[in-house]
Amino acid sequence: MSMLYEFEGKLLFKDSKIPIPRIRIYTDVESIKQFAEEIGSDTMMAKGQALAGGRGKAGLIKKVTKDTAEEYIKSIIGKEHKGKPVAAVMLEELVEITKEYYLALMLDNKSGSYLMLASTMGGVDIEEVAENHPNEIHRTLLPVNIDPQTYHFMELGKRMGFKAKTLTQFASICVKMFKMALKQDLTLIEINPLVITPNDKLIAADSKVVIDGNAYFRQSSIAALQSQRDQHTDLEFEATQAGISYVQLDGEIGIIAGGAGLSMATCDLLEFYGSSPANFLDVGGGANDEKVYKALELLSKMDIKGIFVNFFAGITRCDDVANGIVSATKKLNFKVPIVIRMIGTKDVEGIKILEENGIHAYNKMEPSALKIVELVKGGN
Amino acid sequence: MAVLLDKSTKVIVQGMTGKQGSFHAKSMIEYGTQVVAGVTPGKGGLEVLGVPIYDTMKEAVEATQATASVVFIPAPFVYSAALEAIDSGIELLTIITEGVPVRDTARIRRKVLEQNVILVGPNCPGLITPGEAKIGIIPGVICSKGNVGIVSRSGTLTYEIIQNLTLSDYGQSTCIGLGGDPIRGIDFKESLRLFEQDPETKHIVLVGEIGGTGEQEAAQLVKEEISKPVYAFIAGNGTWVKPGKQMGHAGAIVHGKSGTAQEKLRILNEAGILTANTPSDIPNKIKENM
Repeated sequence: MSMLYEFEGKLLFKDSKIPIPRIRIYTDVESIKQFAEEIGSDTMMAKGQALAGGRGKAGLIKKVTKDTAEEYIKSIIGKEHKGKPVAAVMLEELVEITKEYYLALMLDNKSGSYLMLASTMGGVDIEEVAENHPNEIHRTLLPVNIDPQTYHFMELGKRMGFKAKTLTQFASICVKMFKMALKQDLTLIEINPLVITPNDKLIAADSKVVIDGNAYFRQSSIAALQSQRDQHTDLEFEATQAGISYVQLDGEIGIIAGGAGLSMATCDLLEFYGSSPANFLDVGGGANDEKVYKALELLSKMDIKGIFVNFFAGITRCDDVANGIVSATKKLNFKVPIVIRMIGTKDVEGIKILEENGIHAYNKMEPSALKIVELVKGGN
Repeated sequence: MAVLLDKSTKVIVQGMTGKQGSFHAKSMIEYGTQVVAGVTPGKGGLEVLGVPIYDTMKEAVEATQATASVVFIPAPFVYSAALEAIDSGIELLTIITEGVPVRDTARIRRKVLEQNVILVGPNCPGLITPGEAKIGIIPGVICSKGNVGIVSRSGTLTYEIIQNLTLSDYGQSTCIGLGGDPIRGIDFKESLRLFEQDPETKHIVLVGEIGGTGEQEAAQLVKEEISKPVYAFIAGNGTWVKPGKQMGHAGAIVHGKSGTAQEKLRILNEAGILTANTPSDIPNKIKENM
């Protein structure tokens, strides 16, 4: 699952013939001048591109002129917004707006169908609308194997109050969104706001597009940009490259576990005993010694007070895990306490390997979690 | 029988000639599962572990009368393999493979609903009826026969809970691993109904995690239909969880309040379900309740 930048989403819209304002990515002062000429106006919007919401409120979107644009752009580019960098700035022509709407298509987990959501209250936080004005949100559920046609969306358009030419425009945008989602394995396409201009034209003024990470193998053009898209910190990116699920957190104990559920339960347990996890880390099923080494190498780059390794080996083998741990402790020179818990496939062999290298291993999860918390707290 | 499978269930392994398929087919056979055939297109006529391999599911089902199949096939080919299994008349389809595109799963799910097939997974450890048979990758050695039914969204965390129960002398009727994807086959609800009807199951343990609404729907069902005691553990019940971040499982992502562990626990408690703070606390909860 990864989100696309607004401009990337808009370029996909353009490919699918969903109307968008004219846009251009800022490269230098020349690009501003050329864009002003192209749109025939000296005023334009400059929109910081970051993978987090609330950009307007954070001052990352501003109306500028061709003379003031560059100074503003330089003041926001590279800035951090909710932990994500402003990776680029997009120039956009001004659009005259009569009214703002909300339109989104998503793959609904509960029903396993596609859900088209539309609201006449656009340009605001949709979760707020859902909570305070639930009747202002209109829904259409469509089966995953549908071949979308405009008639599927006429009723939704009427509920939105669209008539005549605007109604068919709306239905046609819905169909195009749907075809995009099917063709490109998108799990969310959100247009907020979808605006209507004084001459009754519907235009996608913003874009939020999410692609299914499992489908990269058949979406090579989008996959090629994955590294820029995923919402990662540097260590998260490094982990992804090694096939490890890693999320950076704010706590004091670094964890390594096999399996997502067990990793979460491990984080919970550290909190339950009065400490906190510094990360979530799942090496995945069937991890070998190299992957365990890599995971420890990631932790060695973090500012943490202790390490907790927790394996219940099914497909994974404890002797592989042990070999990874032994080579990591030899090479990486950890200065913080490490507690290891492992059980399951080849645990006798694994524990023997650890003990030959002077490392103790526990076999129960709760006592070992308590142990690392005590060691960390005692060291303060 | 407990639920979904026992030692009389005839199972076909799709992808049996592959590394994962042959490894786990072996462990399934050793546990007592009737693995009657394997299917790998282009490898028909071979024999693996003494089991005949067929080119198509149709041939395998006709030759063996199998009613269940398990998929150990790389993600890009799962959609086709699942459709083939459904079209061949399989009644219980288990997909172990991780990383199946969610649109493929949604389409498979639609087809199984239309044709009344039970789908378990994808991205799941499968199921086991201790002392009888297993489909998938749950280690048999940690299980023991008994009357606790387990249904879980996780893999290794389920093993943790199974082992805690086994060590406390609470054997299991059947353990069902639903899988960690946001769209999946059977969910808590269907599993609870199966356990409710099963005379061998006396207690039901539900292992959930952050994301989605399966646990909340289960709570509603417990209030309305389930007479047996239900216990639950929810992973991700800490302040460390970051909204919008995926925690390993594609399904474990919190959007708004509804997907949080705290909200799930609140609703489960409200429905009279006993919730445990740690995995080893589950046996205590059962003991207290008896």
